[in-house]
Amino acid sequence: MIRQLRRVLGPEHQGRYTRFLVWATVYGVLQGLAVSLLVPIARSLAEGDWSGAWRWIGVLAIAVVCCGIAHYIQAMRAFNVALVVLRTMHLNIGDHLVTLPIGWFAGKTGSVAQIASKGTMAAGGAAAHLMTPVVIGIAAPASVTVSMFFFDWRIGLALLVAAPLIALAARAAAGLIARSEHAAHEAAAESSERVIEFARCQPVLRAFGRTSDAGYPPLTEAIATQQKVARRTMVESVLGLALNGVAIQLVFTALVVLAAALALGGDLTGIDLLALLGVATRFVQPVSEIGEFGGALRQIRGELTRIQNIMDTRPLPEPTRPATVTAPGQVEFDHVGFGYEPGTPVLDDLTFTVPPHTMTALVGPSGSGKTTITRLIARFYDVDAGTVRVGGIDVRDQTTEDLMAQLALVFQDVYLFDDTLRGNIRLGRPDAAEAEVDEAARLAGVTEIADRLPNGWDTRVGEAGTALSGGERQRVSVARAILKRAPIVLLDEATAALDPENERFVQRSLQTLREHATLVVIAHKLSTVVNADQIIVLDEHGRIAERGTHDDLLARGGRYAAFWHERSSTRGWRLEAARP
Amino acid sequence: MTATVSTEPEVAPTVREEEPPPAEEAAKAEARASSQALSDLLAPARPSITAGVILQVFGSIATIAPYVAIAELGKTFLAGGEVDRARVWWICAAVVVALLARTLLSGAALSVTHFADARLQGIIRTRIVERLGRVPLGWFTQNSSGLVRKATQNDINDIHYLVAHGAVETTAAITVPLAGLAYLFVLDWRLALVGIATIPFYLVAYAVMARGMTAKMLEMNQGIARISATIVEFVSGISVVKTFGQAGRAHAAYRTAATRFGDAYGAWVRPMLRTDALATIPISAPAVLLVNLGFGTWFVREGWVSVVDVVTAALVAMSLPAAIMTVSFGMQARREAAAAAKRITDLLATPVLPEPADPRVPTSAQVRFDGVGFSYDGQHKVLRDVSLTLPVGTVTALVGPSGSGKSTLATLVARFHDVDEGSVSLGGVDVRNIATDQLYRQVGFVLQDVQLLHATIADNIRLARPDATLDQVRDAARLAQIDDRVLALPRGYDSVVGDDALLSGGEAQRVSIARAILADPPVLVLDEATAFADPESESRIQTALAQLVGGRTLLVIAHRLASIVSADQIVVLDRGRIAETGTHEELVTADGVYARMWRAHQGQADSAVAGEGETR
Repeated sequence: MIRQLRRVLGPEHQGRYTRFLVWATVYGVLQGLAVSLLVPIARSLAEGDWSGAWRWIGVLAIAVVCCGIAHYIQAMRAFNVALVVLRTMHLNIGDHLVTLPIGWFAGKTGSVAQIASKGTMAAGGAAAHLMTPVVIGIAAPASVTVSMFFFDWRIGLALLVAAPLIALAARAAAGLIARSEHAAHEAAAESSERVIEFARCQPVLRAFGRTSDAGYPPLTEAIATQQKVARRTMVESVLGLALNGVAIQLVFTALVVLAAALALGGDLTGIDLLALLGVATRFVQPVSEIGEFGGALRQIRGELTRIQNIMDTRPLPEPTRPATVTAPGQVEFDHVGFGYEPGTPVLDDLTFTVPPHTMTALVGPSGSGKTTITRLIARFYDVDAGTVRVGGIDVRDQTTEDLMAQLALVFQDVYLFDDTLRGNIRLGRPDAAEAEVDEAARLAGVTEIADRLPNGWDTRVGEAGTALSGGERQRVSVARAILKRAPIVLLDEATAALDPENERFVQRSLQTLREHATLVVIAHKLSTVVNADQIIVLDEHGRIAERGTHDDLLARGGRYAAFWHERSSTRGWRLEAARP
Repeated sequence: MTATVSTEPEVAPTVREEEPPPAEEAAKAEARASSQALSDLLAPARPSITAGVILQVFGSIATIAPYVAIAELGKTFLAGGEVDRARVWWICAAVVVALLARTLLSGAALSVTHFADARLQGIIRTRIVERLGRVPLGWFTQNSSGLVRKATQNDINDIHYLVAHGAVETTAAITVPLAGLAYLFVLDWRLALVGIATIPFYLVAYAVMARGMTAKMLEMNQGIARISATIVEFVSGISVVKTFGQAGRAHAAYRTAATRFGDAYGAWVRPMLRTDALATIPISAPAVLLVNLGFGTWFVREGWVSVVDVVTAALVAMSLPAAIMTVSFGMQARREAAAAAKRITDLLATPVLPEPADPRVPTSAQVRFDGVGFSYDGQHKVLRDVSLTLPVGTVTALVGPSGSGKSTLATLVARFHDVDEGSVSLGGVDVRNIATDQLYRQVGFVLQDVQLLHATIADNIRLARPDATLDQVRDAARLAQIDDRVLALPRGYDSVVGDDALLSGGEAQRVSIARAILADPPVLVLDEATAFADPESESRIQTALAQLVGGRTLLVIAHRLASIVSADQIVVLDRGRIAETGTHEELVTADGVYARMWRAHQGQADSAVAGEGETR
């Protein structure tokens, strides 16, 4: 864990961390030494050597002062280290996240946010509060053992032999406990998941007669299983605790017996026996405590590993000498191959060109790679084979800023910031004039949303999360794109067409965008497909099945034509369809 | 207004920044309420906790025994004359027995409480489940899954510490020093007083530190909540800011927030920590040893106590303060557990949907809205004075812009919420007078937010009729256009959703339609969710939905005007009111809102068919 923390801290803060560890060690050693002074003081007292006793007490007083100072310094240093760890991790994670490909975040934002917020707090706290007892738990007994050799080498030797035994037992015990806790935790998590599912699916469960009286068997089973597992693991837990206890007892008993035997043989005075055994008890305690921290240490190690995993993710390579755009508004795929997982290609040898100021519609069954194409244009991921060129230049030879400046994205997952409605649109171009924001909002139909909301334009959308429907979010996203005036617009029509009203706004916006920009649309509306300058029909294997205009493709009588005929015949389901 | 679980992650977490600094009083009242909640919640585990505490008391007494034994050994050797060998070995044996007793007793104490905790967790989960089964369905749409998640995972874990460890460990922390102190008094009252002489220093310092701490802790926790929210927003929004070339700005804002938090956090904690670091010096083992031996030397010289007594007392005294630390650590855990308990009891106190005292059975499948008014928050009316009848076996389509109240109106039939004004009735009986299970036997719904359970496909389809045969399940699946897709899964109908049945949105939709086909309720609320699937899947969904039409009272939340032209009745909603009602022909003739919508729709469709390329 020390190593992990060092890595997290990086070279500039290493010294600070080392100094804290040194002070903690000093404190532990001093503590052990101070307690060991009990032996000479007790001896002096027993011999009635008062001046000797006061001299040793004077030494003890000095030791106490040193201990106090060391304690204070190490405590404050520990806290400083905790703060530095916390801040360094916050900043490093932030710095690193901005360099990662956007695609990396898919489905991960929740857990990454957890790690970055809760994980860093836990790791920072551990650096301070967990390391101290662990360091002291090693340093203090070590110094007690060493000083014991000065008083009685046999007791010292016994302690030296005992230390690893206790540590081993504590480790084994902690392992047992951790394993059982893990099992219990799994079972608890499963039953929690079931409770959450029960809540999430409550409408459906009730609608289909699974009210609480009837019961929902998977849930009842999960709770019962959890009880069973908990009882079983309890036994393991108790065994672990007992193992730890027994080891300490064995050592202590052995010490008592050894001391008693020595005293009986006349090799040890009564007062030495008392003092030495007494100091030995101070030795046993911290060693066994290290075992108790095992669980917490493991947990922190887990957090640190998760943080490290984020830090180890390779950033998106940025070109050292970025090229300037040669063909504004043009998108080209040149023998592109790509897969999210090695061995399962999503796109296979894809080649096409989207000329400037044209509209291209992507059509195909789900899983055919339509969304992936738009993601590759925006370089959410890097291709496995071939080249994606935007503005005439390979996306890998452009900086993220330069690439993104050419693109406006209207995708399915619209993220709105906890800001005003206006602020969220303005994100498209922060230096846009008020009138331009208004115009974009009007075109995309956000004005209507603002009219409906109690605080109008100044409604914070984070708070109004429930007030904005999916379609309305999409409109905000469209407004952002209009405001941005990027030469290329990537648009997923999917959620945009939730209701006729949204559809109207999205169609209107498309017309506006088309006047200035190249459009690549994942098409769901017939009108979009028909109006496209180029239709790319993808097949299930991520290859281009057909390419051309609507009329070309109809005339060819292939896949698109078949689809078109089916579609025009059903054109919307009719409510009377299945009536007798 | 339909369940929006799927859109949850898109909403940035809200942090209330404008909250006034909470007064100490308010914080204390909150703490008291939490404390009461905790005690109520723990009631079932109380007897076991008591048993654990009693076991631990004896265990603690046994903990002191080794010190006593060492002292006795010392005395035996120092007694002078021939050493009593038998006595020496008896004392050694006593040490072994005492240590064994301690381990057994403490182990037993922890086992008892751990068992109690496992049982309590089950009880709490069952209580949560029972409650959730009776609250209005509408409750589940309002960020409730987060609450339930927190309660069932984090909060129950927080309570675990308290039940399984807290009481027993606190008892050990208190009784071990008490037993030690008692032994010191047995040795000599002066030694006993010296033994605890340094503790007051610590207590005074701690009291000073604790002053105003409740409010300070609150402030600090809010700070932590704020930075967490900032981090969450930064991470969740990073892809958006990157695509708008704003990553630099957002990143800078994040860095500022993180740095500022670090400074503020340091400013909060450092003074507390400084006091703590100084306060613990007097009770550290070396300091206690110094005080004891210093006074002890004086006492021995005066002949009040023996050397053995002084050394023994010093040893026992050194072990006393450790207990105080455990107790103060336990207090923090207790506070957290109390807050967790408060959240759980709050959840358990969620108002339930009132069950009729004298339930009546609807006589038909006719649905009637009569002067219905409804609002989610008591302020903004979502529906106003809506009156509408859905005759048996007819199709009614609800249309209107988003936010017009379509979904709300439709879900009132299934009693997601109770109306504020007027009534919703089924077969002549107010839905509030129909027993819940009876109501849901009559009313089914297929919503946009498809809810599939983590169970096999077959079990998902036969949800309403657990005894349905596989053939019946497959018939429904075939009608819903999903049978072939299910058969293509690795384990067919035994594939488990989320494990080896990874379905696209459109496929999940068709499974939910199959479920409704099998359930066959007389009244069905249908949210015509389309257009989020690919075109091929979409036409299959439409074919599947068509199977639900006929023979029942159908209420459709319509998004595509083309699909509802033949509905028996089209209801146009606008801002919570019914703007128009009639058949397609009637409404087109009336030349109102619907006619306008229809023309817009036609325009698109015509141009699409004609392939001309102009849309209005």
